[in-house]
Amino acid sequence: MAEPRLQHLLGHMRRSLAAPSRTPRTAVVLGRLLAIAFLLCFGTGIYSHFLQNPLPWMHFPTRPVFLYQLNQGIHITAGILCFPLIFGKLYAVFPELFQTPPVRSFPHFLERASITVFVASSLVQIVIGMLNTFQWYALFPFPFRQTHYALSYVIIGSLAIHIAIKLPVIARYWRKGDAERAAIDDANAVRDASAGASTPNPSTDSTAPAGTATPEPATAGGITGKVFAWIDNTPPAEPRASRRAFFTTLGIASAVLAVTTAGQSFKFLDVTNIFGPRKAGIGPNDLPINRTAKAAKVLESAVDPSWTLTVNYGDTTRVYSRSALAALTQHEVVLPIACVEGWSQTATWRGVRLADLVDSVGAPAGASIRARSLEQNSSYAVMDMGPEYVRDDLTLVALELNGDTLDIDHGFPARMIAPGRPGVLQTKWLSTVEVIA
Amino acid sequence: MTSSSDFVPSGNVPAGGAPSGNVPAGGAPSGSAHSAVASPAMRRWQTGLVAVGLLLLALGGLVLVLDVGPSEFVGIAIWFAGAIILHDGILAPVVFVVSLMLRRAGKRIPLGALLIVQGAVVVGAMTALLVVPEQLKQAIGTANPTILPLNYGVNLVVFGAVLIAVTVLAVVVYLRRVRAR
Repeated sequence: MAEPRLQHLLGHMRRSLAAPSRTPRTAVVLGRLLAIAFLLCFGTGIYSHFLQNPLPWMHFPTRPVFLYQLNQGIHITAGILCFPLIFGKLYAVFPELFQTPPVRSFPHFLERASITVFVASSLVQIVIGMLNTFQWYALFPFPFRQTHYALSYVIIGSLAIHIAIKLPVIARYWRKGDAERAAIDDANAVRDASAGASTPNPSTDSTAPAGTATPEPATAGGITGKVFAWIDNTPPAEPRASRRAFFTTLGIASAVLAVTTAGQSFKFLDVTNIFGPRKAGIGPNDLPINRTAKAAKVLESAVDPSWTLTVNYGDTTRVYSRSALAALTQHEVVLPIACVEGWSQTATWRGVRLADLVDSVGAPAGASIRARSLEQNSSYAVMDMGPEYVRDDLTLVALELNGDTLDIDHGFPARMIAPGRPGVLQTKWLSTVEVIA
Repeated sequence: MTSSSDFVPSGNVPAGGAPSGNVPAGGAPSGSAHSAVASPAMRRWQTGLVAVGLLLLALGGLVLVLDVGPSEFVGIAIWFAGAIILHDGILAPVVFVVSLMLRRAGKRIPLGALLIVQGAVVVGAMTALLVVPEQLKQAIGTANPTILPLNYGVNLVVFGAVLIAVTVLAVVVYLRRVRAR
């Protein structure tokens, strides 16, 4: 009789966990918001991924110049908002964990397995995403970028299957009025079913709380029985006020998290940025940095007086010293540096147009380039740039930043800056620029 | 395929009330007349969504095998299991016990005040959940000084103080309103 006893226990747990905000309607409302947040994270993440690993046919917009900043700001802020939303959603559906019988059929087993993968991958995804914003990689024993990318497909795939399975519930509880009628219908249906269940099959009906002939000897006397009786004696929460409080709380928590962190990506929220992992204006040249000269092992090579930038196209090669670059026509552009980790900051850059440099070696109109950095041991030491950026007037080989000589941590002697690209592709400590026709 | 009646329809049912049959405790009547039967159009959507879902899952699996590598799978599996255990085994039960205690306290304290305090606890806990890891990482050390440059401990204390002040104010205003009625 272990199985009925287990079912009895599960049934009790499920009933004890019932709460005003644990309704299908809550699950649908939060599910919608969470799905929007997930899809925003997915879309912006995929855009960022293909900017870094473009397929051969891909071309990217260079305007508005804040496009990638916006992309990353949305990615990271929506990611942070997933925390309150997912906790709210899991709170709403938590009693489902104790459904009885735990597995009804093979499809039911698949459904529960898929929801487990969905929940686990979602939680892992937002946690490693958050840890990545301050580079706490030591906490998890797998590579961040590849895992975050793979899990994004797993999560959106699981989301599609989850929506498919729950579609009848979603449809019934989509609108407020329908949801209220559906809830009453469901309650009546359950009451009818309980009343009509004259225990032809005790192994499934013994869990029905009332209206059954089956007594409840399994737990009535034991410690669990006393605990459940005590829980049952607890006054119920008032439904309307409780539900309102539930949504108000989640709304306030979401607002607090957004307002206190999103300043790392959006200037207008900088003043309330008290919890963001980055702060505008903090760093050399008043700008945060991701990889230092020391980490890139360029402390000597970057300040070597014999440093030159080699620009090459086929048999034509021109070699520029830093003073030679400074002697060329200088342009000033205001462009954000937007990091793959989410933070962004707009800065004033001054230097030589990349178009002028590639013209100096006779590059054709639609040419791409491959830039190399002095940087050691980095997958970003070699960077490819498509023609849409090469010929853009705003793309510079920058020598100055925010009115000062480029700091060594920002890529002295010269670095790339282009509109709408991830920070990791704004190659620092430039060494060569090779034109690829 | 699950139907809507699988869900605990406790919407308008007093939580934890007497076992009057308002809440299904076991296998709900999934074939009941009231549960939504999927229309042909809905069936098509379901089939399409499952197909898209399986395709994306396969793609994710492919990336896991090709880009991440099977040697990392144990670590990822441990994190998956850890996430479920931490949430379902620790966090959710703690939340349940706390809300139960608050509900019992509700015998003596007006409900509105209770809900305000409960909300403040949740807001504070969620904020701390995101800020405490930053503090820990900052204490361990970051790759460069522009990562985690703020004084997160002080900011969290200030935030907590403001949260408490706002909560007290909200409770006072609420109680005055209740008494005025």
